Amino acid sequence: MTFDFALARENLPALLNGAWVTLMVTFTVMAVGAPLGLLIAFARMSKRRWLAAFGAAYVAVCRGAPSLILLYLIYNGLAQLDIVRHGWAWLLFQHAFFCVVVAFALNHSGYIVEILRGGMEAVPAGLVEAAAALGLSPRQILWKVRLPIAVRYGLKAYQNEALLFMKSTAAVGAVTLVDLTSAANEIFYLTYDPFTPIITAGVIYWVINFVMRTGFGWIDRRLNRHISAA
Amino acid sequence: MEFAKLDRYPAVALAGVQKWYGQYHALRAVDLTVERGEKLVICGPSGSGKSTLIRCINALEAHDGGAITVNGIALGKDRASILDVRREAGMVFQQFNLFPHMTILENCTFAPRTSLKLPRGKAEERAMRYLARVHIADQAHKFPAQLSGGQQQRVAIARALCMEPRIMLFDEPTSALDPEMVGEVLRAIEELTADGMTMICVTHEMGFARRIADRCLFMDQGEIVEQAPAEDFFERPKSPRLQDFLSQILH
Repeated sequence: MTFDFALARENLPALLNGAWVTLMVTFTVMAVGAPLGLLIAFARMSKRRWLAAFGAAYVAVCRGAPSLILLYLIYNGLAQLDIVRHGWAWLLFQHAFFCVVVAFALNHSGYIVEILRGGMEAVPAGLVEAAAALGLSPRQILWKVRLPIAVRYGLKAYQNEALLFMKSTAAVGAVTLVDLTSAANEIFYLTYDPFTPIITAGVIYWVINFVMRTGFGWIDRRLNRHISAA
Repeated sequence: MEFAKLDRYPAVALAGVQKWYGQYHALRAVDLTVERGEKLVICGPSGSGKSTLIRCINALEAHDGGAITVNGIALGKDRASILDVRREAGMVFQQFNLFPHMTILENCTFAPRTSLKLPRGKAEERAMRYLARVHIADQAHKFPAQLSGGQQQRVAIARALCMEPRIMLFDEPTSALDPEMVGEVLRAIEELTADGMTMICVTHEMGFARRIADRCLFMDQGEIVEQAPAEDFFERPKSPRLQDFLSQILH
C-alpha cells in the first residue's frame, strides 16, 4: 500500500468538486428535513387519531427504509408513472439532485420526528403548568417553553443523526450524482490506485465531520449556557 | 368604578365542587368562600385534596361538578374564562418550575411580554421591582440552575407577581426546600401580606400559618373538615381528625 501524494494533489480539484456535492446534499437535506420533521412531529403528537396515525406511519416507513431504497423508488420508480412523467412534477423529478434531496429528507426527517417527540415528552409537566398558570395559551407554551427545551434535549441525538446521515450520502452516486465518494471511485477506475483517492476522500469526509461537530458544539454551548454556567 | 363593582364579589367562591380521578373521589362537594384580602391557610394529610382544591381554582385541574367563581368570573370549560381566571390568580408551585433556559429576568418578563404584550423596557422595570421585593434583584442575570432552592422559589414568587394578580395561590411552597431555606421563602411571602392581596396557601408550616392566616382550614378525604381562626385551629381543634393530624405533625 502506497499513498501517491502527486496523484492526490493532481486529483484534488475533482475530489473537492465531489465534496461540494456532498455538502450541498447534506445541507439542503438538513434545511428541508428540520421543518418537515417538526411538522410531522406535530402530527405524530396530535390528539386527532388520523393525524397521529399518519405521523406514526411516516416514521415507520421513512425511518425504517434504508435511504438508498427510498432513493431508488423515487429516482427509478416515480419516473415510470405517467402522472409524474407527463405532469409538472417532472420538471423537478427529472433532476437526480432533487430526487436525492427528497429521499434523504424523508429519511432524515423521520429521525427528527422521533428526536423531537422524545424531547417534547421529556419536558417536565410542571414547566407547562407554570406557563399555563401565568396565563399563556397552549400555542405560546408550545413555541416558547416546550419546543425550546425539547430542542435542547434532542440536540445531541440530532448531532449523531446528522453526522451519520452526512456519511450515508455516499449512496447518491447510485443515481448519477458525483459526490465525494463517487469522485474518488472514478479516479480509482482511471488510475487503478486503490488507496490514494479513497484515502484522500476519507480525509475530506473527516474534515467535513469535524467542522459539523465543531458547529454543533458551538450551538450546544450557546443553547445550554443555563446548564454550563451552574 | 371597577373596584366598587369588584367589592361585591368574594375573591374566590366554590359551591359544591366535585373532582374525580377515575374512581377516586378527590373533592366531595366542597363549599368555600374566600373574601378579598383574606389570608387562608389549608392543611391536611397527603391525598386529602388540598392541592387539588387550589389547582381547581385556576383550572390546572378541571372540576367535574359545582361552580367556581374567581373575582366574579365564573370558571367554565371555555378557554376565555380560564385565561381570565388565570390573570386574576398567580400560582407558586412546590417544585418552583422556573423555565430553565431563561435567565431570572427573562423568567419574570416572559409572561408579561407574551401575554400582556408589555414592551420589553416596561416588563423589565416591573420584573426588577418584584425581584427586589423578594430580595433577589442582584441575581437577575443568572440562570435558575445557578440559584439555591430558596432563591429559586423567591424568583417563582416574583414571576407570579409580575402578572399583578389579585390572588396568589401557594401550593406547598416550602415542601421541596432544604430546612435552612424555608425561612427566607416564608418571610418573602409574609412580606406580601401587607399589600392586602388575597392569599391561599397550602402549607404545614404552623408558625407561619399562625402569623399570617386569617383563617385555617383542615381537609381530609376530599372534604373541608374544620375551619377556624389560626389560634383556635391549633389550640382548640374540635374534630378528632384534626386533633389527630395536629398531634402527628407537631410531635
